[in-house]
Amino acid sequence: MNQLPLLSILTFTPLIGAILLLFVNKNSHGVLRTIAMAVTVVTFVLSLPLITGYNAPGSDIGGFQYLENIPWIAAGPFQMSYHLGIDGISLWLVILTTFIMPIAVLSTYTAVEEKVKEYMICLLLLEVGMIGTFISLDLFLFYIFWEIMLIPMYFMIGIWGGKNRIYAAVKFFIYTAVGSLLMLVALIVLYFKAGGGDFSILRFYQLHLDPTTQMWMFLAFALAFAIKVPMFPLHTWLPDAHTEAPTAGSVILAAVMLKCGTYGYVRFAMPLFPEANAQFTPLIATLSVIGIIYASLVAMVQQDVKKLVAYSSVAHLGFVMLGVYALNQQGVTGGMLQMLNHGVSTGALFLIVGFIYERRHTRLITDFGGLAKQMPVFATMFMIVTFSSIGLPGTNGFVGEFLVLLGSFESNLRWYAIIATSGVILSAVYMLWMFQRVMFGELKNPKNQTLKDLNAREVAIMLPLIFLIFFLGIYPRPIIDSMAPSIDKMIAQTKVQKQVAEAAVPAVPALPPGHMAVPEAGAAPAGMPAGHPAMPEAGAAPAGMPAGHPAIPANNEAK
Amino acid sequence: MTISDLYTIMPIVITAGAALFVLLCGPMLLSASLTAIGVTASAAAGLWAALGTPASTQAVSGLCFTPLARFLIPVFCFAAAVTLLLSHSYNERRGIKGEEFPATVLFALFALCVLPCATNMLILFLALESVSFAFYILVSMDLNRAESGEAGLKYLLMGAVAAAFTAFGFALLFTGSGTLQLSGALARPDNRAIISAGWGVILVGMAFKLSLVPGHLWTPDVYQGAPAPVSAFLSTSSKVAAAALLLILLALFPPMPELRVPLAALSVLSMVLGNLAALLQQNIKRMLAYSSVAHMGYLSLALLSGSRDGYAAVLLYGAVYTAMNLAAFGAISSLSIDEERELVTDYAGLGFTAPLRGGVLALAMISLAGIPPTAGFIGKFFIFYSAIKGGSIALAIIGILSAAASAYFYLRVVAQLYMHRSQAPAPRAVSLAEGLALCLASAMILVIGVYPGPLLKAIDTALQ
Repeated sequence: MNQLPLLSILTFTPLIGAILLLFVNKNSHGVLRTIAMAVTVVTFVLSLPLITGYNAPGSDIGGFQYLENIPWIAAGPFQMSYHLGIDGISLWLVILTTFIMPIAVLSTYTAVEEKVKEYMICLLLLEVGMIGTFISLDLFLFYIFWEIMLIPMYFMIGIWGGKNRIYAAVKFFIYTAVGSLLMLVALIVLYFKAGGGDFSILRFYQLHLDPTTQMWMFLAFALAFAIKVPMFPLHTWLPDAHTEAPTAGSVILAAVMLKCGTYGYVRFAMPLFPEANAQFTPLIATLSVIGIIYASLVAMVQQDVKKLVAYSSVAHLGFVMLGVYALNQQGVTGGMLQMLNHGVSTGALFLIVGFIYERRHTRLITDFGGLAKQMPVFATMFMIVTFSSIGLPGTNGFVGEFLVLLGSFESNLRWYAIIATSGVILSAVYMLWMFQRVMFGELKNPKNQTLKDLNAREVAIMLPLIFLIFFLGIYPRPIIDSMAPSIDKMIAQTKVQKQVAEAAVPAVPALPPGHMAVPEAGAAPAGMPAGHPAMPEAGAAPAGMPAGHPAIPANNEAK
Repeated sequence: MTISDLYTIMPIVITAGAALFVLLCGPMLLSASLTAIGVTASAAAGLWAALGTPASTQAVSGLCFTPLARFLIPVFCFAAAVTLLLSHSYNERRGIKGEEFPATVLFALFALCVLPCATNMLILFLALESVSFAFYILVSMDLNRAESGEAGLKYLLMGAVAAAFTAFGFALLFTGSGTLQLSGALARPDNRAIISAGWGVILVGMAFKLSLVPGHLWTPDVYQGAPAPVSAFLSTSSKVAAAALLLILLALFPPMPELRVPLAALSVLSMVLGNLAALLQQNIKRMLAYSSVAHMGYLSLALLSGSRDGYAAVLLYGAVYTAMNLAAFGAISSLSIDEERELVTDYAGLGFTAPLRGGVLALAMISLAGIPPTAGFIGKFFIFYSAIKGGSIALAIIGILSAAASAYFYLRVVAQLYMHRSQAPAPRAVSLAEGLALCLASAMILVIGVYPGPLLKAIDTALQ
């Protein structure tokens, strides 16, 4: 279909950039920054054809496209392939990565003055790891990219971080490494259960494992991903890492790396082990809800703006997990959108914290107050981002959170959804309270009276993010449309056992997942439309349902 | 014996000849040229072995260029060449003079080359002991440091005990099988008890050589006391040689059921205690010594599986471990000033003041921690792969968890290199030979990490 190995080019452009940087004099900061910027912009531009090319007419709609499959390590019985491909789920995460990277690079122009060369190399290597993680279809390759991400991030936190940087870096590393090593064991076991051959995820999807094996392997995979997400109670590395990391590091960590965890659930842990997944759904949903509430409460009492944003991350990812585990069209779509939204809005929040930190070298809320008078442009942008993070209608946060809550309400996670809703209110409380204390009130502190507003570069960093906040808030349809077929496939795969049992059920039912479904299914309104905006064959959905706003009509119907 | 037979064992001839030449003509030549001769001879022997085809017949009685030898000799030669490259400027700084050093390294290499070629238990034993003999000398080569001599003595005493055990084990195997020939020696079923006893005693000897817990006690002292290039050579080649000896014997006398429990115990103890002890070390060479205890624990985990996959993993890990430890000790040797930098904290900030050597040391640490895309990861992956395939999932999980803990102390070195301000005296410029050696070792780490295919193929043919 497509002769050009676009995904490989995409993955290794940053690597070539990093190698190029090795040969630049370490004192010519301008050249280093320009090259890094150019490389990330080129990568972003290269990734754009994926959007238009995905689901091109005649392709495998919703399946994996842009496939590349080259035997890589083949010895004896062993087969590992360099197997790449994207579907609607990974497509947008790749775009998010390539989109965030230039912003991250641009944000370092004044923030990083020391060891610029090493910093830029770390950033570019990180991009290689992140893109690779999202596009690998071979589990072994996935594991390698997954681990490659660790090293540059470790260095970024440890070298350019704050006071406690080494502690934070080591904690980050050990937490993540322990989880992924257990995943490695599970991966090898999975390979044997599949009976040799290669490590292709597509082949593993066909397996039917016995429940006990599924349980252990699900636990190993889920642990690795839960640490990365991070889910309560494994989240403790995150506030440390975020607080100590330099701005660009925090932005990337929040915007992209945490998504690797949730992506891991959607791509691997859930569809590979459907029965175990159903079994553990209550546990994961409980942890997600605890995460939402607990992190929101902790965020409320934070003195440090950056820590507050870090805890808000934990809460937001709780929403993502809840949506994904609703395992219906709205829920998973909401979860996916929420991943992108969180990337945009929390990325923006960390940038904002970075701006203010560069000016004042403090992040304590009590050191500020009344900044709105001194920095009107900054105040406006901060406001918009805050609203997006709270999930005000019209911003991106609303669409995602709403779909998540709707989806989980319709599934058998109804009570979880009801409790999680309080998280929405809590998020408004901690964000707005923080905003009020930082931006409004009297401009008492003399140091704050000389603050300069955002300069052109900083505005240029923020504008694309603000554009996306509104774009995703008002017209998310193109994204939902291109994700929907892949999400259907993922749901069908995860519910495969059930479908075998109820072979008569047509298409993808909007039934709750797993075996506990039966009693509650009756309670849920029969034929509740799955919010299938994009699928023409979703006959159950009322005709003419505007796909751009799946949330609003669905809401009416729920009433 | 014909000329063509001689060609097949040419690596042995080359190394022996070079060792004698260096020893005899040393006083008349510059020390730089002696090193050059040594490196050339090692490279030539390694290439000859790598490009040659394994022979099916014995070249001389007791020696045959086996497929295993074809794989191992290049590994040994690589280690020796890197050691020689590293040692030249190190020895100049430390005042280690004379032709004995390169000659002894070459003599050790000669014995190492003989070992996988042996077709006779006596030759096998002699080769192993000759290797140890050369190392006793190399370890105590630094006359200006008391620790060096102490380390040599310690190694000699422990080594002698180990040798006694090994010899006794061979004797029992001989009694059980009735022949010293390795090719035809098949255990008669009624002698199973004697064979098993022989195995047990050999295992004790090998636990010393491989520094498996509880035979590891000499390791930290010897690594610490020996000159850094010698530690590099010792920690790689002598271990690989001992592992190769076990492989050769396992191929002939497979009493796996009896061996399983002791080997599993040795493996678990080494993995857990090695890593735990390494967590506490402040001295980088002692840390690497305990880490080597843990790594040999991983290696015996693969041996335990008793399958072809396991043996392949052992050979792979041998090669990988050689590259990693050469890089680590190479960087230590090359970063030394008048004295070696002993403490981990002595390496603060060197990642920026000495980018090449700091980078190599960091790469070696990351690889030892088993993080992709380095060779260490590929090696560990195949170890745990074979262990799980062999059914020891519990052991594999213990191993993996201890490997996760080990990340902490490896990363501590990396953190010192890059995340602390430099208080240490500035390093001197890197010499050409050292740079070459370090680049070779790190290239190995990265190439095996990214594209291990050819190496795996070579191992596959070596196991026939």
